[in-house]
Amino acid sequence: MNRLTMLGWLAIALIAVGSVLGLVVLPADALQGEVQRLLYVHVPVAWVMMLAFFVVFLMSILYLVQRRLKWDLLAVSAAELGVVAAVLTLILGTLWGRPTWGIWWAWDPRITTTALLVPIYTGYLVVRSMAEDPDRRARWAAVIGLIAFVQVPIVYLSVFWWRSLHQPPSSPQSMWSAYGLVMLLGFVAYTLAFAYLWLRRYRLAATELELELSGPEEG
Amino acid sequence: MSALARRAAAILWKDILSETRTRQGFTAMLSFAALVLFMFSFAIGVDNDLLGRLAGGLLWVAIVFTGTLSLGRTFQNEELAGGTRLLRLYPGDVRAIYLGKLAGNLVVLAALEVVLFPAAAILYGVDFAAQAGPLLLVAALGTFGFSVIGTFFSALTVHLRARELLLPLLLFPALVPVVLASVGATEAFLAGDPLGRATGWLRLLASYDVILFVVCVWIFPVVLEE
Amino acid sequence: MNLAVVAEGVTRRFGRRWALRGVDLAVPRGAVVALLGANGTGKTTLLRVVSTLLRPTAGRVQVLGHALPAGEDEIRARAAFMTAGGHAYEELTGVENLRFAARMSGKTASDDDLRGALAAVDLGGAADVPVRAWSTGMRQRLELARLRLRPLELVLLDEPFVSLDEDGVGLVHEAVRGWREAGAAVVIASHRVDDATRHADEVVRLVGGRVAAGTA
Repeated sequence: MNRLTMLGWLAIALIAVGSVLGLVVLPADALQGEVQRLLYVHVPVAWVMMLAFFVVFLMSILYLVQRRLKWDLLAVSAAELGVVAAVLTLILGTLWGRPTWGIWWAWDPRITTTALLVPIYTGYLVVRSMAEDPDRRARWAAVIGLIAFVQVPIVYLSVFWWRSLHQPPSSPQSMWSAYGLVMLLGFVAYTLAFAYLWLRRYRLAATELELELSGPEEG
Repeated sequence: MSALARRAAAILWKDILSETRTRQGFTAMLSFAALVLFMFSFAIGVDNDLLGRLAGGLLWVAIVFTGTLSLGRTFQNEELAGGTRLLRLYPGDVRAIYLGKLAGNLVVLAALEVVLFPAAAILYGVDFAAQAGPLLLVAALGTFGFSVIGTFFSALTVHLRARELLLPLLLFPALVPVVLASVGATEAFLAGDPLGRATGWLRLLASYDVILFVVCVWIFPVVLEE
Repeated sequence: MNLAVVAEGVTRRFGRRWALRGVDLAVPRGAVVALLGANGTGKTTLLRVVSTLLRPTAGRVQVLGHALPAGEDEIRARAAFMTAGGHAYEELTGVENLRFAARMSGKTASDDDLRGALAAVDLGGAADVPVRAWSTGMRQRLELARLRLRPLELVLLDEPFVSLDEDGVGLVHEAVRGWREAGAAVVIASHRVDDATRHADEVVRLVGGRVAAGTA
């Protein structure tokens, strides 16, 4: 078993342990009831989303500086995971919001910003898919990956000013002891899962590029 | 005048001259803007109070929709004339191209707003004139931010298939702070700014304008590479 | 030897397509090089690389003493690339198109200078007519007038003869002679062998993105 596969199994094992702890072992939340258990997934997945888009940003800068396609492939691999994590975060967030706030969609700054991240990075992926020349494709994508990351904090801030409802970010203070530990376990588990999927996707992307470049020549 | 400003001015002069020769683009854009204002009334009804309260938001959405159509054409006249690569062949910083095109978009959007603000005032029954000074500032900052981002993404999408779809896809999320702040400030000023929130919005808008302008100017040469 | 362009092993691929595969090229100052080859053999790509527009995937290029990508700006100030097709801004007149080109090159040209430049390529009568009403050949002449606005050390011409009449072709030849006498290097990419080689000191033939044997 190679190291990457081991990483994958480790992530699965930790997610399984975390799920059992969060769903079965820990008692239901005194205020929010059973629905609070969603947060054990929602919060780590939201973290993975932010991590993924930060990775896109870093890889985009590295590409623009060094112009190696490797960085572009790492960026797009993270971007795809980021979009998946964003959609998952939204679904979990609305599921949690309905019983907690009484409405599906509360125009909360974090949810709204997350919802805006989906079209931003979908745009990133679509633009990327439209260029045939790998260098050009990488260049356009890197520019969007960079500028998107500059926008997002201000998008968040503006939506925050416009409307604020969300409960403050989960912190060890409000989530101490058993809750805090299970949440921490979730962060570690989902981060490892991200790392595993990211590197797997990157290998696939590298193989795809190799095939694309070595295929029957056109023109 | 520095070489950069001179070359940006040359592009601005050339584009305005071309536009005044045809005027088709601008005329179509104005008609479209008027239709958008009408559509809002049709959707909302003839409740003058309601329209008046929504006027700031409706106006900015009309500006963004109409402006996006116009921004999408920023680099298309270059494509007809051999592409931006010909502009890149001239010596000097290629950022002059961005600055010239940005200035051109500012002129076009300003011309649009000169018509759109009075039209909205009449149709929605609001008194923009009473707050002319502050609203002018909001319009200036909002339009600048819109142009900064729009010009940039227009350059990025000009070579893409389906650019008509991709430009709004990239542009609209980036415009969220511009729209929220412009609408927020406009509505605050129209209501006499009782909560003193307009200044905060203006500050946010100005900061976003500056940050995006710096980033776009800095990275623009990469966009034009082949 | 004083070389305006030295290219070594220049390779450029666009995804799966290899436009150039290890092209070597040397263009001495004061020489005319004819770059021949059928459509799609890499002539334009090579000119785009030499003109600083396009970065090669691999290989070294030195232009007017600068090793690309360094000195791009300096090269652009002293070299010109006439792309195929005779491009111009449709709504602007001949004079306005030239004025724009002069301003972008950092030159201040008087109205008389610009009209003179147009008259030199037999476009005096069309100086105030918007280009939209011009023929393709006239646009090609406008390109020629644009190149002659400023002194050049390297001139890259991509299909300069296409859609020109006898007189127009004569104007290109005359301009090429002028540049060579002034010590500039000229590269003419064309599939019209007779015209391209008329003043050529060297002939380079591209086949499938490579220099054909015995022509360099």
